[in-house]
Formats: sequence, C-alpha cells, structure tokens
Amino acid sequence: MIRTIASIFITLGLILGISVYETKQVSKTFRELKHSFETLQEKTELNTVTYDDGVAVRTFWDKKKETLHFWLPHGALQEIDFQLNEAIGFLSIDDAEGALPKIEVLVGLTDAIPHSYNFGMKNIF
Amino acid sequence: MGLIFIRTTIIFIALLAIMRFMGKRQIGEMQPYELVITLIISELACIPMADNSIPLLYGVIAILTVFLLHQIVCIIDLKFTALKPVISGSPSIVLNKNGIDDSQLKKNNLNVSDLIESLRIEGYFALDAIEYALYESEGAFSALPKKNFEQLQTSLPIILASEGKFDQKNVARTGRDLNYYQNILKEHGCKSEKKILIFTVDGNGKAYFQEKGKRYKVIDLGWKNTLW
Repeated sequence: MIRTIASIFITLGLILGISVYETKQVSKTFRELKHSFETLQEKTELNTVTYDDGVAVRTFWDKKKETLHFWLPHGALQEIDFQLNEAIGFLSIDDAEGALPKIEVLVGLTDAIPHSYNFGMKNIF
Repeated sequence: MGLIFIRTTIIFIALLAIMRFMGKRQIGEMQPYELVITLIISELACIPMADNSIPLLYGVIAILTVFLLHQIVCIIDLKFTALKPVISGSPSIVLNKNGIDDSQLKKNNLNVSDLIESLRIEGYFALDAIEYALYESEGAFSALPKKNFEQLQTSLPIILASEGKFDQKNVARTGRDLNYYQNILKEHGCKSEKKILIFTVDGNGKAYFQEKGKRYKVIDLGWKNTLW
C-alpha cells in the first residue's frame, strides 16, 4: 500500500517535472529563435542582409534543433528547415525580396509551433 | 508532455467507461481497467518505438501515465469500496430461486442463450439444477448447484422457445408439433408466446418454463419413454 502510494507520487512528480521543464525549454528556445529570425527579417527589409547572416541563423537553428527533437515531433521541425533553406537559397543569389516572405513564415512558425504543443484545451481535443 | 498526460488520461477514462457500459460479455477474465491497460499499453510502446519522427518521451510519458492511473485505480479498488462498483462493476445474479433474472441479463447485454451456454461450460445442463448463477465483475461465470443437481440433469434439455420465439427445428427434434407445446403453455397460464422467457424440455419429458417477470415452473409432460 505504501509502495503504491509512493509510486503514485513519484510518477506524478516525474510527469509534472518533465512537463514543466519541457514547457520552459521549448518556450525559451522558440523565443530565442524568434529573436534571431526577426533580426534576419529586419536586415532583409533594410536590404543589408548577407548570405553569411542566413548561414549563421541556420547554424544557430541546427544547434537548437538537437534539443527540440527530444520534445517535439520531428515533422513539426522540418517545416522550419524547409523554409530556412529556401530563404538562404534566395540570399545566396542576393535576392532579399525573394527571401523576405520565407523569413516572415519562419517568424510565424516560431509562434505557431510552440502553441500547437502548449497545454491548452484546443490541443487536448 | 503535460498534453500527453491529459490526453492519455482522457483516453483511459473513456475506454474504461466504454468497457463498463459494454457489460461483462466483452471483458473476458480481466477487470475492466486491466483490459483497458492491455488495449492501450502495447500501442503506446510500439508507436514511438517504430516511428522515429515521434520523440520517445511521448511514449514514456504515456506509459507512465497509464501506470499512474493503474496505481490510482488499485488504491480505489482496495480502499474506497463505494467507488469499486463504478470502476470494476459488481457481480450480477442472473439466476436465483425464482429462475432467470431477465433484467440482470439485459443490464449486462446478455440473453438467455448466453446464460445457458455459460451453464453448460460449467457442467450444468438443466436450469432447475441451479440455485444461483452469477456473472462476476470481470466477466467470469459462477454457479451454485442444488444439492441433488446430478439427479435433476439426467437428459440433455433442448431449448424449445426463448425470449418469445419458438425454435421450430428443436420442436421438430422432440417428435411433437408446435400445437402440443402451445397447449401445454396455455394450460399453465401463458396466453401469449411473446411472454415466454425460456421453455426447455429434456428427453424424459421434464419441461422448464418461465414467463417474463414470473417464477419458473417445472412441468412433467408425462412422456412414457425417454426420447433422447
């Protein structure tokens, strides 16, 4: 009986602990990502963006992606890969106008992806 | 992960409720919550294991949630006796001293044929040889025979009619026609075929008859020879 009650509290603690850590970790990562995508967006709008800026953002994203794979389905992260690579493709041919819509999508995704996995009624059902 | 926890809990409760509503027939020999766990745990383990696009933690959290719910249900089962019938169900006495309890059978989505089949599996062939019969909460069947039950089942009873319908083939097997049996029922106060809950006859001419909502009657048809 004591073992059963102890196992309930340990399991509950474990699940709650992992859930809180996941929520904080995912929110923090996507906040940082949003900031870097917004910086890239500003530079693109001002036409001061370079190919190296895009590559730097991709390196940053690749690093963050490693930990995000623990928490989120890989399919959700592939969309960022796809849009970011397309944006960098445009930047490699100095086409800031072509890259801008892709970067705008990336900024939107940094809001949409964590919201899809947030603790809320719309995601439960 | 909190999302997985809530979703697993909802699925667990929904499945448990469905298993309880479906009655004892669907359960087999497990408590409803044990069957629910058996149903979902293999899928929970397999999907993240086989699909590498899903984080392994999704499966781990869901399995931990199922374990947690199992432990909670175990505690409720042991300590909160008032809640036990809600979660695990309670035994249903389907045959008592008055005969078959039709309402209990219906409550468990069973019919008279299911009851007779369960009795035969337990080694009881005559309905009048049984004092009590019940379906346990996990779907197992138990019967308490009368002291002299072996003398009461010397020949295999055939179901002539159940739940308002005659079985023409079985009637023919007895070598008598439908009118013969309809007259016997009329003599014993059954005015309509539809009111029959069960009507059986064995090779010695011993009939077991019960009208819906009434006590059973054992009728000696007065056959001179044993027919089967």
